[in-house]
Amino acid sequence: MSALVVDALTVAFGRFTALDAVSLAVDPGEVRAVIGPNGAGKTTLLDVISGVTKPVSGRVMLGDHVDLTKRSEAEIAKAGVRRKFQKPSVFPALTVRENLEIGCGPALSPRERPARIASILGEIGLGPRAEVPAGSLAHGEKQWLEIGMVLAAEPALLLLDEPVAGLSDAETAQTAALIRSLRRPDRAILVIEHDMGFVEAIADRVTVLHEGRTLYEGSMQGARGDARVIEVFLGR
Amino acid sequence: MADLRRFPLRALLVLGCLALGAASASAAPLDRAAFAADLCGDGAAQVRGAEGLVQAGGDLPTDDLAFAGRLLGALAERRLACPADGAVLLDRPGAPEGRDAVTGAPRPVSETRAPVLGLRQRAAIETARGTVALLTGPDPAARTAGLAVLERRIATVPAAVLDRARDAETDAALKATIAGLAQAAALSSPDPARRRAAIAAVAASPSGAAQARLAALKGDPAYAADPAFRAALDAGLAQVARAVAVGDGLAVVYNGLSFASILFMAAAGLAIIFGLMGVINLAQGEFIMLGAYATYGVQEAFRRLAPGLLDLYLVAAIPIAFLAVALVGIVVEALILRHLYRRPLMSLLATWAVSLFLVNLVRVTVGTQNLQFVMPAYVSGGVPLYADFVMTWNRLFAIGFAAATLVLTLLILRRTPLGLDIRAVTQNRDMAACLGLPTRRVDRLAFGLGSGLAGLAGVALCPIYSVNPGMGAGFIVDSFMVVVLGGVGSLVGTLVAALGVGGANVLIEPISGAVAAKVIVLVGIILFLQRRPEGLFAVRRRR
Amino acid sequence: MSGAVQTALAPAAGPARRAVRDPLVAGLVGLCLAAAAGLLVAPPAPYLVNALGQLAAFAILAVSLDLVWGYLGILSLGHGLFFAIGGYVCAMHLLAHGAAMTGVLPDFVQFMGWKSLPAYWAGLDHAPYAFVLALALAGLVAFVFGLASFRSRVNGVYFSIISQALVDVAMLLMYRNDTGLGGNNGMTGFPLLFGWPMGSPGVVTGLAVAALLTLAAVIAGTRLLVGSAVGRRMLACRDDETRLRTLGYSTTRLKLAIWCLSAMIAALAGILYVPQVGIINPRVLAPDLSIEIAVWVAIGGLGRLGGAVIGAILVNGLKFWLSAAMPEAWPFILSGLVLLVVLVLPNGLLDLVALRPRPTWLRRPR
Repeated sequence: MSALVVDALTVAFGRFTALDAVSLAVDPGEVRAVIGPNGAGKTTLLDVISGVTKPVSGRVMLGDHVDLTKRSEAEIAKAGVRRKFQKPSVFPALTVRENLEIGCGPALSPRERPARIASILGEIGLGPRAEVPAGSLAHGEKQWLEIGMVLAAEPALLLLDEPVAGLSDAETAQTAALIRSLRRPDRAILVIEHDMGFVEAIADRVTVLHEGRTLYEGSMQGARGDARVIEVFLGR
Repeated sequence: MADLRRFPLRALLVLGCLALGAASASAAPLDRAAFAADLCGDGAAQVRGAEGLVQAGGDLPTDDLAFAGRLLGALAERRLACPADGAVLLDRPGAPEGRDAVTGAPRPVSETRAPVLGLRQRAAIETARGTVALLTGPDPAARTAGLAVLERRIATVPAAVLDRARDAETDAALKATIAGLAQAAALSSPDPARRRAAIAAVAASPSGAAQARLAALKGDPAYAADPAFRAALDAGLAQVARAVAVGDGLAVVYNGLSFASILFMAAAGLAIIFGLMGVINLAQGEFIMLGAYATYGVQEAFRRLAPGLLDLYLVAAIPIAFLAVALVGIVVEALILRHLYRRPLMSLLATWAVSLFLVNLVRVTVGTQNLQFVMPAYVSGGVPLYADFVMTWNRLFAIGFAAATLVLTLLILRRTPLGLDIRAVTQNRDMAACLGLPTRRVDRLAFGLGSGLAGLAGVALCPIYSVNPGMGAGFIVDSFMVVVLGGVGSLVGTLVAALGVGGANVLIEPISGAVAAKVIVLVGIILFLQRRPEGLFAVRRRR
Repeated sequence: MSGAVQTALAPAAGPARRAVRDPLVAGLVGLCLAAAAGLLVAPPAPYLVNALGQLAAFAILAVSLDLVWGYLGILSLGHGLFFAIGGYVCAMHLLAHGAAMTGVLPDFVQFMGWKSLPAYWAGLDHAPYAFVLALALAGLVAFVFGLASFRSRVNGVYFSIISQALVDVAMLLMYRNDTGLGGNNGMTGFPLLFGWPMGSPGVVTGLAVAALLTLAAVIAGTRLLVGSAVGRRMLACRDDETRLRTLGYSTTRLKLAIWCLSAMIAALAGILYVPQVGIINPRVLAPDLSIEIAVWVAIGGLGRLGGAVIGAILVNGLKFWLSAAMPEAWPFILSGLVLLVVLVLPNGLLDLVALRPRPTWLRRPR
């Protein structure tokens, strides 16, 4: 059984086909990276999985029974899918603690919240900044806060959209460690990234997208050796 | 029109008249003495005299008619004395002397008994006077008054009278009225062949009035009795009804088109500005108002400087109104909106403040009254095209104006460097800025363009709507609906939405009223947005 | 919303404590209570009492708009509709009550040549029923309109425009004489309030006190709400609705609930307003008036309940004074004030008298 199955997914914006019959399957406990040049359709893929965009055709199955393409964003989130956006999306008007409280989701009872928030604060290392408005955090801190927010609900499927974009090398290494520590048998993680070193550090397998189609699927090692992948990344 | 009881009576009358006509085939003059004696006689004689005059009216010489007119007038005003030796005309009722009715010689009157008119006599006398007035009245007003009298008893008026009046008439409007009445009279003529011919003639120039006239004939006894009449009437009615329906349909389409044109002109600028900057310009209605006032200014300038060319002011106002309002728009952009691009809701309030300011500025400086516009020949009147459908020039002006604006705006957007810049910034502001486009300058020029379009709308409105400081408020809600429905940044969408909203308003209004039309359009738009929240032609974008 | 209500109630001590510590809100509530007490103890001239009561009604209206605009990012340009619903139902009650007590039918009913009040007026002479009907009607209209809009994700400027069209259509509807609601001339000539003659000093004072007390309650209640977990979700929704949805919250339900609440508060303001001015007509539904409500809020300071109250009282106080003193100048002053605020004081006049350093989120221009 796969944690996530994307089946022949096609998405079009007007005449532009962003995803063209893309399929992939992610196992439980797996960290999968989706890589590809700009415009390959990576973010669109996450948009469909998280319900922001509806596809023209195809299915996205969470577990065996839930077709995410038929559900609203909130229902998808309630089903255990969390997404970290490319641009750090935290609520600037609220404090770090309040952001995490919202991140816990509507299902968690108020009594369990303080403990959950405290443990997440520890995990993302923002304990001392808990009462600071999120709007005044540094860029890297916002990225971590957002990861904390999506973790607070203990998701079964975690979608990370370029989690290290704009981070320093040290912050990137810290983030890689954080993501590795998130790996659990009952959780699949789907990461979109440009940084090959980072992908190699965290991913079990990679899927290479190019112009809306799957170009390669397998180990990072294999991707580096694949002629078409090399052409797409280096050729032009 | 005609009921069963009166029918044989009228037939008899007409037969009598035919006999009389045959006797006086060579336009025999009036037997003045006999006529005067009739009027002095008993009630039956009076009626006979008056009706005889009416029947013969078509053939009598003019001076006979004038003579009869004098006598009839005197009788009606109780200035006719009837001694045994012949009628005398008095200057005033009860005067001791007057002139002989027939010879005109002065005569003293001892017995000043003036005949008193009964109801039936009065009607007959009035009809006779009306006939005389219609045929000999000195001016159209007098003749119109005569016609109005005849209209009430049109069935008793012979065709010859109306034909003669029509042929002699010099006033075009009155001539048409007489022709219409003659037709109506022919429709109720006792001669079946003539009636059928009249029905065919009415059906040949269809209109709502013709339809009503023919439909009324269904109540005529002949409809049940005479199969030929019935067939002719049914065919004529069907023909007219079809034509009227087509004509009404054309009129609805035409009105919808002209309303949509105004909406489009009002909304096009709004849509460009909204698409580009996300700014809803609540002052757009006031920009339209300024365009109309600029047109007024041009008219006044022409009046002072070149009165001979006054008719051309509307054309001259086109570039002036565009530039003037565009300038106002650019000033507003530079002073206010430039600072608010990241705060669309605040820019909404700011433009509302601008609109409040402009309305009251105009109110204080120019006044609140409606402006008076000279209507040049090319925007007044219209040409009747089909049935009741009249293509009015002022609406055609607005439609043509909107079409020209659409073409020009599309050319600007598609074929000029500014248009390319506007489209680029509309679609991706950040990318355009990265490519070195001066987005701020583009904003300003586009705002000027959008405002100028509102100014043009103001010019187009002048011949149709009343122009006053508050006129802008009337367009705001409708044109916003058009922008919302059409989608952001698509001029074609704006056009389609304007046609849709304009058409829906005009279609629904006659059925369920103006308010219901607005309600239905609003509900329709909300329902439509359920399916396509971004409007008809919005470009779908990624988050 | 059951979860939301639960979480709102559970840590109630938190927001309550914070609300008390909000000096602006605490001060305004105290001021309202003090003014109400003052009116009861030593009432000034009746016209002043009446003006104060009207200002309080406007302030309630402004708070209702600030709740959705300042805290949820939804700018309604049609809030006059809900105000008018409250006002019209209140006017119907007053006329029905008057007719029941005196046996004289209202003017407009006689004008239309009717023999009795229209059937749907039945029961409106009972105040509790009329009160519930006003709030329910406002809530229902808000619910239907809000559901249609929020479900299809109509928001931002689009929502503003459509809400404006809504109030415009309602105005056209009320201008008709056959609605049984007074048509063009509206409804006026209310004889009695709870059996007391309308213009008597006791009734005037009573109405003003009721308006002030309601204002105090509305300020306090909304402050508790925005300080609660629900309030934090409102801010989150305002700043990034998609984000909040992808965290598992139904923002449609959140927005709908607050939107309906806001509409009912606006209706409450209308209920309090109409007996004080003694008339309601379709002009309260003019789109301009609905925009003016947003202007009060913006001038006072968006997203701070105290700002809405101060803005409403300031603008309307100025209007009472100036539109009598120099009617020609008032529109210019108002437009100048709006431009000044949106250009120079993005957070409203409270910027001038900042009571304390503002939280960061208030500095974010909206």
